[in-house]
Amino acid sequence: MNLLQALLVALVAAVSRSEGDWLGECKLREPVVTGFLVGLILGDVKTGLIIGAELQLMWMGATGIGPTAQLDIGIGGTIGTAVAIMTGTGPETAILFGVPVAVIMQFLNTLLLSAYSGVMVAADHKIDALDFRGIRLLHYFCGICTTLAYFLPTFFVMYFGNTVIESIVAGMPEWVNLGLSGVAAILPCLGFALLLNIIMEKNLIPYFILGFIPAAYVGFDLTMIAIAGVAVAIAWIIFMLRQNEGAKVSAASSSDDEWED
Amino acid sequence: MAKKNELISAENNITRKDFRGVFWRSFTLLGSFNYERMEGLGFLFAIMPVLRKIYKGDDEALKASMHRHIAAFNMTVAPSPFVMGTTIAMEEKAKKDKSFDVSSINAIKVALMGPLSGIGDTFFWGIIRILACALAVGFAKEGNVIAPFVLLLVFNIPNFLTRWITLFLGYEKGSSLLSDMQSSGKMQLFTHCAGIIGAMSMGCMIAMWISISCPLQFTLAGSEIVIQEYLDQILPKILPLAFTLGIFSFIKKNCKVQKIIAGIVVIGFVLGILGLISL
Repeated sequence: MNLLQALLVALVAAVSRSEGDWLGECKLREPVVTGFLVGLILGDVKTGLIIGAELQLMWMGATGIGPTAQLDIGIGGTIGTAVAIMTGTGPETAILFGVPVAVIMQFLNTLLLSAYSGVMVAADHKIDALDFRGIRLLHYFCGICTTLAYFLPTFFVMYFGNTVIESIVAGMPEWVNLGLSGVAAILPCLGFALLLNIIMEKNLIPYFILGFIPAAYVGFDLTMIAIAGVAVAIAWIIFMLRQNEGAKVSAASSSDDEWED
Repeated sequence: MAKKNELISAENNITRKDFRGVFWRSFTLLGSFNYERMEGLGFLFAIMPVLRKIYKGDDEALKASMHRHIAAFNMTVAPSPFVMGTTIAMEEKAKKDKSFDVSSINAIKVALMGPLSGIGDTFFWGIIRILACALAVGFAKEGNVIAPFVLLLVFNIPNFLTRWITLFLGYEKGSSLLSDMQSSGKMQLFTHCAGIIGAMSMGCMIAMWISISCPLQFTLAGSEIVIQEYLDQILPKILPLAFTLGIFSFIKKNCKVQKIIAGIVVIGFVLGILGLISL
């Protein structure tokens, strides 16, 4: 990997994190997108996309909800795909490198987010001084720090770590491989569990089962869209049926506030 | 598009351009996220130019209002402009009516966070993101370069529209819309219906997108025993379901997510080495 390529890959890693901060979570972090970009940089778009698709499937449930940090799929996908293309290996290598990176960077991330609490004190002072420029700069400052915290390590690993990475890939014992694939298998469950925590209530359990069973027995392809369509239809019918008796619903259930955590 | 820069609030000289500013600044809401105030500074940053117009020439009131909006704030980002719109409307009211109880502004913000996040998370994380990714994966597997663009468009068109529309909706209807919906029970009904879509999609997604299987097999008295086949006879996709519900129960018990991740890494690694689970 030459200097320019290493810089560009590091840029993709940094942007895949900063899009959540500065571009309104516009999903540049998804492995299909980072896989495409890394493929473009390293001159093999097709492989990049295919590896991206594999990682995407694995991280389908990787959600970032609230302050609960979990998996940094942006940088994990970027580095994973880059290493896989660089060493001429397949999605397994991408998983091998992507999963640990995603976990480690998320822990680093919690450190950053704790550190920024200190910035808030400074911001309070700027308000008292009516220093509008200062407030703006503090907001930007956090973003610049985060971007650098992702850009620099990625660059160094990509540019100077070539030989190390290649020897790791070549000398990886089978048991580490097995262990990491076990981790990679369970990790996606966490994202879905976090989503369940937001969505699920007791009276929604039948619908959950209604969605699970056909997909489990029939499997792939269009089931997701079909089931989503059926769900919209059911929700719409219930909405229409109950709309007029709305007052009654609220009177009956106002005591248990549904969204209160 | 009527006039390029029509006035939205003549009284405080707030124009459409100012609202465009809030709209774009709302994209940086998470930029200075931290564990103390969460999106507080981001929220202040987004509405600061408008606050400066509202409290022009009254520095003390401006300071007070800025302190109000750097307070802890946290919600799903896509519908956050709704709260910004509502806040601007209330700040205008507070400036006009000196007896207005300013503490109600933050109370309303907090009251909006929960329900809007619930609906926002369900739609953006639970439905739109998954749909966008699922469509893109299909293309990406064939190496088709339109995959990333499909993903970004399918996700971001609703993302941008929601921000733009809810900003004005929040400003014009704001707290009254929410209290009307809440008192008439429509909010609960709407949340419930969004929940139906979410719950069904969740069930489907767990079956489709998580692949955990048991590679264990051995020969017993001459016949080959494949554990996964037995599991499939009980219920296909039973392992993804069991692991997800297991983790879910830990979250319900208020277990820290970092701890859960650490647990998953250890348990997954060991089970993987033992050959009990694989992708």
